[in-house]
Amino acid sequence: MNVADYEPVPPVPYDPELVPALAGFLDLVERIPLRADTIQVNREHFATIVPPLEQLLEGRRIHVEHRRVPGPAGDPEVEVTILRPEPAVPDAAGIYLIHGGGMMLGTRFFGIDEVFDLVENDGVVAVSVEYRLAPEHPDPAPVEDCYAGLVWMAGAAAELGIDPQRILVSGTSAGGGLSAGVALLARDRRGPALVGQLLNAPMIDNSNDTVSARQYDGIGAWDRNNNDTGWNALLGERRFTASVSPYAAPARASDLSGLPPAYIEVGAAEVFRSEAVDYATRIWATGGQAELHVWGGAFHGFAGFAAGTTVADAADAVRSGWIRRVLGL
Amino acid sequence: MPYPPVPFAPEFVPILEIVAPAGAPVPGPEDIAAMRAGASGFVQPVADVIAGRAVDAEDRVVPGPAGQPDITVTILSPAGHRDRLAAGGPAVPGLLNIHGGGMISGERGMDTARLVELVLALGVVAVNVEYRLAPEHPDPAPVEDCYAGLLFLAGAAAELGVDPERLVVMGGSAGGGLAAGVALLARDRGGPALAGQLLLCPMIDDRNETVSSHQYTGIGTWTRELNLLGWSSLLGPAAGGDDPVSPYAAPARAEDLSGLPPAFIEAGSAELFRDENVAYASRIWAAGGNAELHVWAGGIHGFDVYAPDSELAAAAIASRLAWFRRVLGL
Repeated sequence: MNVADYEPVPPVPYDPELVPALAGFLDLVERIPLRADTIQVNREHFATIVPPLEQLLEGRRIHVEHRRVPGPAGDPEVEVTILRPEPAVPDAAGIYLIHGGGMMLGTRFFGIDEVFDLVENDGVVAVSVEYRLAPEHPDPAPVEDCYAGLVWMAGAAAELGIDPQRILVSGTSAGGGLSAGVALLARDRRGPALVGQLLNAPMIDNSNDTVSARQYDGIGAWDRNNNDTGWNALLGERRFTASVSPYAAPARASDLSGLPPAYIEVGAAEVFRSEAVDYATRIWATGGQAELHVWGGAFHGFAGFAAGTTVADAADAVRSGWIRRVLGL
Repeated sequence: MPYPPVPFAPEFVPILEIVAPAGAPVPGPEDIAAMRAGASGFVQPVADVIAGRAVDAEDRVVPGPAGQPDITVTILSPAGHRDRLAAGGPAVPGLLNIHGGGMISGERGMDTARLVELVLALGVVAVNVEYRLAPEHPDPAPVEDCYAGLLFLAGAAAELGVDPERLVVMGGSAGGGLAAGVALLARDRGGPALAGQLLLCPMIDDRNETVSSHQYTGIGTWTRELNLLGWSSLLGPAAGGDDPVSPYAAPARAEDLSGLPPAFIEAGSAELFRDENVAYASRIWAAGGNAELHVWAGGIHGFDVYAPDSELAAAAIASRLAWFRRVLGL
């Protein structure tokens, strides 16, 4: 859709029930506008809002292990955290988690609690990867670190007790974009087989110039300005050139055939809506499988910050249903 | 094949082999009578569908469009709703339902089961409208009959115990397209206020130019061939052409999608209507409107009707209920 046809672009309104949750999100997560000169202070703030893993896991029958595994060729090792059910189950399904944070923020513990129930109750083995962050480590460092961690996980399947045919890559926001990039890399390098790719509000389009990007310019959670900061950090001067890698910005991929089944979820009232819908549409056009859910009036990241609202609970139920179907749980 | 289709989910493959076997002959206008008879064969009497559950049903003949015949509606209410209302009980939300059948087939009784479930789950009153079918009654007869049904619902709100501020128009397939058309008519004529439009795999684009309109050529529960037959029956030679087509008949043709009630749009990823449904949602959002979109992986056209016990149908129905609760304040 051509943006020029729709100017000026009024935003899609928020679901009234989500308005307090949005205010809470902005106050907790986005207290400091994210610009090139506030990345470090935002990292420090982020570190204060992600609880320690031990605290998150208290009372859970989950075994934790941190490990250093080989990074990309010639690059440093990558740290991963492995969550396993106690007691272990044979031939477990695997989830490979890639955290969000705009390619610049966060650690592998940000959002890790999303998989605790699947590990504890359904015997899933989860691996969460610590990837290098931009701008100190621009593309391809983040996506290559993520891919290296996946290659390790698939190679260690026997040791981890994972069925290598049932590995799902999953992430939110920047983690969703990196998950899409890892799925493309796995296809093109004939790497690990993936049973699915869960792309939650994925950051995939470096243009940041879609209808929805324009609708959330200066308003809402993860607005267009924050998003600009992220893409500039990741791609630097290459950002608006033809040399942008499709593994960094999957919307740039010319071929979306031959990918694992995708689950694409996004809010109707957020920057990433248009690019997420477009990615699903392009997968379908190749005959590929994708499920798309665009939740009415929902802001970026609503699912993790609005528990108890009708729309967030519905989104959790639908996502969980898809995970169960693709993992055969 | 130039347009490889998105595969059907495995749980639907055995059903497709029965209801839509590969290699079936291409349908023509001469087959419409048989299609109608086939659809009729699946319709059970309302009382049999209700089967003792707590729902009251009433058929009524109400005014059609100006200068046109009356229309018949079935009103489904929570049991005892009218008595409670007389005793000072509260009004409830109202649904106007429009059945599917490609604009050429079907009857309102096809949707009784879906509506009884909604009346029981949400405590609403549903008005199920019978509209004239093409080709005997081409556009605008179908959508104008449906709009007349909405005028009846809104006008009789007090008597039916319906809150006129909480009306939703809904339908599946052709009924979804007609529901979208009714929402456009209500906007443009300053008609009844709508709290929402629930569009299930709606038939809204007569042009048949999308990728998905080609992907399901000769396969699935609603094929490209059937869709071409439906549109040509409704619109005659104007279907898919450069001549003007009413946006109330083919809502994808509407130039302005602003100012519409919140939309719920649902489709299967493995069906013909997928792309036109996604485009309709995208255009509503681009106008700053409110829409929720669900495209279920591997879903065939009408999967919840053909496979009501499937996992996908259960998930889709739960998502509809969550949306109803939000737009109706339940």
